[in-house]
Parts: sequence; structure tokens; C-alpha cells
Amino acid sequence: MGDYWRGQRKIMKKYSARFYIFLVVLILTVLLLFIPLLTTEHYLFASVIFMIGSFFPFFLRFEWKKVTGRELVMLAILAALAAVSRIPFASLPSIQPTTFVIIIAGSVFGAESGFVVGALAAIVSNLFLGQGPWTPWQMYAWGMIGLASGLLKNTWFMKHTIGRTIFGILCGFLFGWIMNLWFVIGIIQDFHWSEIIAYYSASFLFDLAHALSNAFFLIVFAKSWIKILSRFKKKYGLLL
Amino acid sequence: MAFLETKNLSFTYPDEEKPAISDVSLSIAQGEFVVLCGPSGSGKSTLLRLLKKEIAPYGDKQGIIHYKGEKLETIDAHLLSKEIGMVFQDPENQLVMDRVLEELIFGLENIGMDSEQMRKRVAEMVHFFGIHHLLDHKVHLLSGGQKQIVNLAAVLLMEPSVLLLDEPTAQLDPVAAKDFLQMIKQMNQEFGITIMMVEHRLEDVFPLCDRVLFMENGTVLTDGKPREVIQQLWKKKMLAKTSYLPSPALLYLEHTKNGQNIPLTVKEGRRWVNTLAINPKAVARNNALVTENKSIFSLKNIDFHYDKKGGNIVNSLSLTVYEGEWLAIVGANGTGKSTLLKLMAGLATPQKGSIKWNGKKIKGPLPLDIVYLPQNPKLLFVHDTIRKELEEVKKRLSLSDGGEKLQLLLSIFQLETLLDRHPYDVSGGELQKIAIVSLLLSSPKILLLDEPTKGLDPEMKKELGQLLMKVKALGVTIVMVTHDMEFAALYTDRCAMMFQGEIASTARTNDFFKGNTFYTTVINRITRGSQVPEVVTAEEARQRWEIIGEDSEK
Amino acid sequence: MMKRGFRSLHPLVCLIYFIAAFTTLMLYQHPFFLVFTIILLLCFHWALDRWRLLRGWGKMFMILPILFFIITPLINHRGNHLLFYLFNNPITLEAIMQGWIHSLSLLAMLLLFMSFNLVITADKFLFLFSRGFPQWSLLIMLSMRFIPLLRRRLNEIITVQKSRGLSTHDGRFRQRIKNGLLLLQILLTWSLEEGIQTADSMAARGYGLQKRSRYIPYKMKLIDGISIIFLLILTILCLFGWWLGDGVLALTPILEPIFLYGREWTFFFLYIVLIGYPLIMEIREQLLWHSWKQKI
Repeated sequence: MGDYWRGQRKIMKKYSARFYIFLVVLILTVLLLFIPLLTTEHYLFASVIFMIGSFFPFFLRFEWKKVTGRELVMLAILAALAAVSRIPFASLPSIQPTTFVIIIAGSVFGAESGFVVGALAAIVSNLFLGQGPWTPWQMYAWGMIGLASGLLKNTWFMKHTIGRTIFGILCGFLFGWIMNLWFVIGIIQDFHWSEIIAYYSASFLFDLAHALSNAFFLIVFAKSWIKILSRFKKKYGLLL
Repeated sequence: MAFLETKNLSFTYPDEEKPAISDVSLSIAQGEFVVLCGPSGSGKSTLLRLLKKEIAPYGDKQGIIHYKGEKLETIDAHLLSKEIGMVFQDPENQLVMDRVLEELIFGLENIGMDSEQMRKRVAEMVHFFGIHHLLDHKVHLLSGGQKQIVNLAAVLLMEPSVLLLDEPTAQLDPVAAKDFLQMIKQMNQEFGITIMMVEHRLEDVFPLCDRVLFMENGTVLTDGKPREVIQQLWKKKMLAKTSYLPSPALLYLEHTKNGQNIPLTVKEGRRWVNTLAINPKAVARNNALVTENKSIFSLKNIDFHYDKKGGNIVNSLSLTVYEGEWLAIVGANGTGKSTLLKLMAGLATPQKGSIKWNGKKIKGPLPLDIVYLPQNPKLLFVHDTIRKELEEVKKRLSLSDGGEKLQLLLSIFQLETLLDRHPYDVSGGELQKIAIVSLLLSSPKILLLDEPTKGLDPEMKKELGQLLMKVKALGVTIVMVTHDMEFAALYTDRCAMMFQGEIASTARTNDFFKGNTFYTTVINRITRGSQVPEVVTAEEARQRWEIIGEDSEK
Repeated sequence: MMKRGFRSLHPLVCLIYFIAAFTTLMLYQHPFFLVFTIILLLCFHWALDRWRLLRGWGKMFMILPILFFIITPLINHRGNHLLFYLFNNPITLEAIMQGWIHSLSLLAMLLLFMSFNLVITADKFLFLFSRGFPQWSLLIMLSMRFIPLLRRRLNEIITVQKSRGLSTHDGRFRQRIKNGLLLLQILLTWSLEEGIQTADSMAARGYGLQKRSRYIPYKMKLIDGISIIFLLILTILCLFGWWLGDGVLALTPILEPIFLYGREWTFFFLYIVLIGYPLIMEIREQLLWHSWKQKI
């Protein structure tokens, strides 16, 4: 009986730890998105601090973790797949399956792996296509999407089609908004409400397309992809 | 004290009842060159992997492995990873780094070597292999043979004393394979590295090695010098095993009672046939020329190039395929064979020239009567069971008689038991058969195959050849690109040689090989220009030779 | 391949330059500074590859800055120098200035990143990265190795599956998207399956047994050390200048004159030396070459 309760407490503890991480990340992300609106003085400084604060702990945690060769290969393949995933859609502009791949990776292999796949996909695709001022933002956005889907993996959001769809739509918009930040922070610097809204509405159509394609992929393919990845999780002997 | 030794080694994979290896006791001396052969699933790879601790499979292991008199488990892992090196089958999958130099030093970094020492070792190795011009290359731009040499060099840089090789040439073309095997021989002779290699290219390895282990069902069936093993296999009259004998040996054993000096090379084979007195038997040749059949598919003056800047891959090529024939297209690497097959399959569109199907010119998509099996059948499979995959094909084709047709094909190919497996959990040969079944469902008139025998063991090759003969008997025309002379000589009706994007010559298979000097079978090279009637295959010799005397003094 | 000039410096020097240049570029929002930055960077690009890379990206270089130049005055209405009304929108001189600064700064930033890509190639980047983050850099290298492989496999899948009716070119929109992801699904299963062999090949070469060492293809030379010190001093001085309020064109409350005055010239000079450092190295290389030629 005691064992049972200890086990339960352990699970609770694990869950609540996850919950807090998620909360912190969420708050940081939301703050990051609204910095341009809240402050006009130390936006640059503040935003970089926020980014580092929410990104680096996970980045370093992976760096210091002992990872097997099989895990590394698995993560590298998933990130490479996410990076080349636009190729079949060459004739269909604005369809972007990268985010879908990252969400699925996170929801099968957990938060840390999701984060790694997301950030890595951004780094490698930029190493191939050329780095730009957008690279860190892309790393941040995709890394956080992978992280979030991993943290939510045992919740309603990731367990049900509706939840996944909502999550996919949110990711589509959040990704676009974070990506807009690179020039908002890097170039405009002197913010004003109307300006921000104008810039963000200019990207609305792109973000909508991204959100809808995420939703579509998640509705149609989430189950089969989760099944495939779970099979390999077993086959690679990964417990992650 | 043996150098590498197994005592009563048995191994069973989890969830399996039958052991993959049972009670194997071996003793290998330092500097020996050992070849492991035998059918797929006989435990060769498992044995090799058990000797390489880092990648040893999980499962129930019994018995002991000794290396230099010490138990494998007790040797320092760091030392062991250096001492026993391993090269795998697929050249592509072993590469882990983006550039050749990084690939070479990957192992050295793993064992914590410092930069200066790495530089020195790489400099030496690169010089020895003559690959210094490749150092800055991206690995994906290398040819298959170059990739495998880089893989070998990367392992040798760690200075192993034992080198394990798991079918290292299965994915290479014959020329690259020969080069690779010579390299291994050189490593063995000049540096005394102990070699254990699983290999199916018997003609090439039997003359090179010191010792052959023939494995079956997890046990070592015969073990000894190459000639002894051949003799034992022959004596035991295991006809199924004859496909494992190198063809000069087979020719010899079938036509002599002597049985002592089994020839392993063409040179030895020629010496032997020149001692023979043979009465040629008149054989009723099948004179029904396929070229008298209706032309089903014809290409005329085809030009093709992938990008504007590059030259033509296919250059004003003309080729006619006749109904009901089995045509093999052979030629060196990079002559455009695979591209030609893609053009025929409609996967690429020629820039110039005309394609006629059943006498009618076609433009745009090719008819469904043409199906194509790529080199790697894996890329045909979408679903997670074979049954689902086949059902899906049936649905897509909306066949009315799909069920019966499928049943018929499955029984011909003997695949009924595999239906509920994942396509990736069956062997390469089985996967290929399933792929062919899925292609045949649409009742095609022509089947295009891209190197169907690549990576198959001799037994599976034989099975594939016989199955395709049955397919041909169903009225399907077969066009195949291959590097495998022996296979083409045994089964096809006609051969076409490709050179610089053109068809250089076409002829009936038998005439084709008799007319070639280099591009021909081993048996033809033995008998060409000798005092005995020239033959192409052991089968032909069986039909045409009648031995009336043998002068062993000569 | 051996590179000369700025690219022959230790990658760390190059990285420090780009960090310094990027930081100061973000801070000095002044058209005068920005115009000179752009000129210097264009010269640098000429020295690097005769503008080959820039030509490829030409469109983006034209469109984005012009877009900013047009949009900013339309949505930013601050300032007191009202010029005219456009569809009831007040267009101010300050807003036009702001748009100008934005587009110049964007252009400069893109140019800087382009030269970053030319100088810090993927292998140099990974070399720098591996110093602090060996595990990440190994992972990046692995992934970089897989990209061309996966790309080739994917193209193979696309061609072969096209013949079986699975294509993103025909059919209804929904079906095309679906087919596209099915093609990716084949690639996923296939590549993960083959990946096990890659992991085995890593393990067979002793991966994971101990801490890895690192192959160091670059050596620090005297010129590298001098460059680092020089760049750091310049950066600190430039930061100091920004802190003093120089090098930023104040638009509100009063519009500052564009032309520089007094102390600003000092910082302008320092800034130009900092931004133009690679160009100085390229010119030095040329001069050394010529004097060597004259000697023999």
C-alpha cells in the first residue's frame, strides 16, 4: 500500500514538475511576444534575456546529458527529415510540414527530444540555406514547439484529435509571431501599437496557412506517425 | 593459445525459439583470412556481431568467446573497440559525418586521441589508400566503392588486429568489389591483420582466403581450406549447396572423377580444361529467335540529360524489346543503364526521340502495362503490414478479380505466411518478392527490374531466377539492368551492352557472352580459346560436353 | 581549400568580428553610419566572391528594404513635420526618415549575414560550436550528413511513387497534400530503419566509451591575437559612443540633422574601422602579394 502511494506521489511529483516547466515556458513565451507592447525602453535587452532564460536551460541540459549513439542518430534523422520535408510540396506553396514533424517527435519522445529536434531542424536547414538574422528565432520557435508538445504528451491536448488540432493551430500562429520578432526587435526597435498590429496582420495569411496545414496533418496523420515512431522507439531500445 | 576463440557458443534472439547460433566452437589463428559463407539466416552475421562486443545483439548467450586468451567480457572496453574493427554491408549507412576527413577521424576522436597524432595517422592512411584527393569531399558525393573504402580506412585508422566484415561488397558493382577485396587481401598480407568476412562473391574470395567456414542453421557445417570445403560440400552431395560453389570448382567437380586439384581461379581452370579430351554433344539449340516475336516496346534516337549543363546521359539510343523475352542490359557504372530503365518506365521524359508501345507512338504518361521495380524495393512500401500494402494496391487498381489474382501470385511466390509482417521485418529477398507481387497485380505486359540480384545470396538468386522464369511463362516481358553476368547468362534470352549512353551491341545471351572478352562469365573465360568447346555456363557444359579422357600429366 | 585574406584568420577572430559588427550595427541607427556600412560590406562581398552570392539573392535585397521604406510612413504617424496626406493618412518627414533608416538597417544586416555565410562556412561554424557544445555539434554534424542522403532518398521515392499514382502534382488539393505527407512517411520509415546501422557503425568505432577528443584543424597565429585585441578595443569604444548617445539619429522630440557633428565623427571613424576590418585584411593581403611579386 505504501509503495502504491509512494508511486503515486512520484507520478504526481513528475507531473507537477512538468506542469511548472510548462508554465514557466509559457509565461516566458507570452512575455516575449508582448514585450514590444509592454515596454519601449529596454525591449532589446529584456527580450534577449527572456529568450536566453527560456532556451538555454534546455539547450545545456541536453549538452550535459549522456546520450547513446542510437538516440543521437534518431534525433539527427528526425531533424533532417523535418528540414527536407518541404521538398515533396514544391508545387504547393505555403504548405509546411516541418512543424508537424516536430510536434509528433515531441509527443512520442518527450519534451527534451522534441526541443532538440525542433532547434536542430532550424540549425541544420539554415546551415544549408545560409544563416540569417532569423536563425535564432527559428531555433527558439521550433525548439519551444517541440518542448511544449513533449510536455503535453500525456494530456488531453496530445491524446485527442481535437486537442492536437488546437495545439497545431496555436503553434502555427505562435511560430509566425515569434518569427516576426526578428525584425521587430532587430530593426524597428521603436515600437508603437498600430505599427505592431500592422506588421503582424501582414503576416496573418501566412500564419493562417501554416496553422491550417498543421491542423490538417495532425488530423490525418498524427495517429499513423505516432505509431511509426513508437515502433522505432522500441526497435532502437530507447526509453528516453 | 588461439588468437580468437569461441567455445560452445550459442545464441538465441528474444522472442525466438530456435537459436540463431548453436554450439559453435572455433579457433582462429592470428593473421588468418577466414571467409564465412552459407545461406541467409544461417547465423553468419550473428556470429560476427557476437565477436564485436559494442554491437553484440541482445538475447540469450551461452558459451565463451576468448580474445588473446582473455574473456571478451573482461577485456577493457576501450582497448577492445580499437582491437576489433568492423565494416558493414551498406556503404552509405555506415557514414556518420558530412566530410571524408571528419569521417576518418571519427573513431580516433571517440578514443580520445590528440590532434597531432590524428593528423599523423590520417596522413599515413590516406597515403596508403591513395585517397588524399577525397579528404575535403562531402561523403554523399562519393561513389559506392569510394564510400566503402572510406569506411574501411576509418576502421583501420584505429589500428585493429582483427577486422570483421559483414558482406562488405554486397552493394558494390563488380569492379569496385574486386578492388575492395584486393585491399582486404593486402591488409591481411602486408600488415598481418586477422580477417573474418561474410561474403557471397565466392569466385572472388575463395582464391584469396586461407579458410572457409560454411554455416547452416546456426552451426558450422564445414570448416577448412577452400578446396577442402568445396570437396566436402560436394561429397556430401548437398545439391542445394552447389550454388555456393565457385563456378570453376563446380565445372571441375561435375566433369572429373579425379577431384584433387580443384581450380579456384580462371588460370587454374584453364590449365585443367586443357587436359580434357571432350566429345562435343550435338545439342538441339533453341533456334526460335525472340527477335521474330512482335516488337512490344521500341525506343528510337532517345536523348536524355538531367540538367542543362550536364552532357547527355542517354545519347541517341535505340532499343527494341520483343514480346515475351527476358532482356538484360549490362554495362559499366555510369553508362546510363539505370537512367534508360527509368526512361522506359516513364519516370523520366526524354528530351528527344520517340517511344513506341505496341506499335503506337506515346506521348505523356506511359500505359499502366509497364511496371518498374527500383533497386531498393523498400521505397515502394507505405503501410505497416504487407497485407495492407497489397490490399491498398488492389483498391487503387480497382481490380475485379483482385482476390484470386493475389492468391495465385502469393502461392507462386510462396508468401502466404508473411502477410501480417511489417515489410521491413522480412528479409531482403522476401521483400523483393513481395514488391514483384504487388507490381504484377495490375497484370502488366512488361516488368522492368533494376539490379534485382544485388545483395542476394546464391540460393536466393537461384530462387529469384526461377520465379522470374515463371513470371515470363505467364506472358510478361522482362527487362533487367544487372551487373551479374552469371545470373544474366543463366536466365535471360537476350543481352544488350550499354556504353556511353548508347546500346553498343545486342545479341542472344549465349552469343553475347561468347563474343565478349572481359564482360562475360567465369566459365566462359575458362573455356574460351581452349581446346574444349566454349561454353558460358556450367549448365551448358553439362549439356554439351562428353568427357572421353583426362590427361592428368599435362 | 586554402583561403586568403580575412578568411585565413582563425575562425574565432571571424566570429568575434561578426558579433561585434552585428551588435554595433543594431545600435547605431543612423543613416550616415548605415550608408557607409553598406558600402563597406558591398566592397567586402566583392573581395570575397565578386558578388556571386549576392546576385543569387538579388530579389530579396531589393524587395524587403523597399517594402519597409514604403510601409513605415504609412503606419507610423509620429513627428511634427507634416508633409502631406495620403488617403487621409498624415505622412510625416520623421516617418519617412524612420522608413529610410529601417530599410538601410535591414539591408546592412542582410549583407552582414551573407558575408557571415561566406566566411564562417559550416565546418568553421561547427568547429567554433564544438568548443562549448561538443554534443550538440556532433548532433548537428550527424544531421548535416543525413540531409543530402534524405534528400536523395526522397527524390527517389517521389519518382518511383509517381508511377504508382502517389504524387503531389495531380488530383484535388486535399489529396495532393495527403500524398506529399505519405511520401514523407515512406522516407521516415525507411531512414529510421537504416539509421540503426549508422548507430551500430558509431558504436563499432568506440562511440560512447569515453569523452571524445576534438580534432583541431586551426592554429592561433600572432595576427589572430592582434586582431582579437584590436576588435575588442574598437567594440568597447563603439559601445561607449552609443552610450553617450552618438550614432543614433534622434527623430523625436526634435529631428536631428543628418550630418554628423563634433564628437560623433570620432565614433564614426572607430565604427568604420570596426566594420571595415575584414576589408582591411583583404587589402593587406593584396599589398603583401604585390610586394612579394616585386621582390622576385
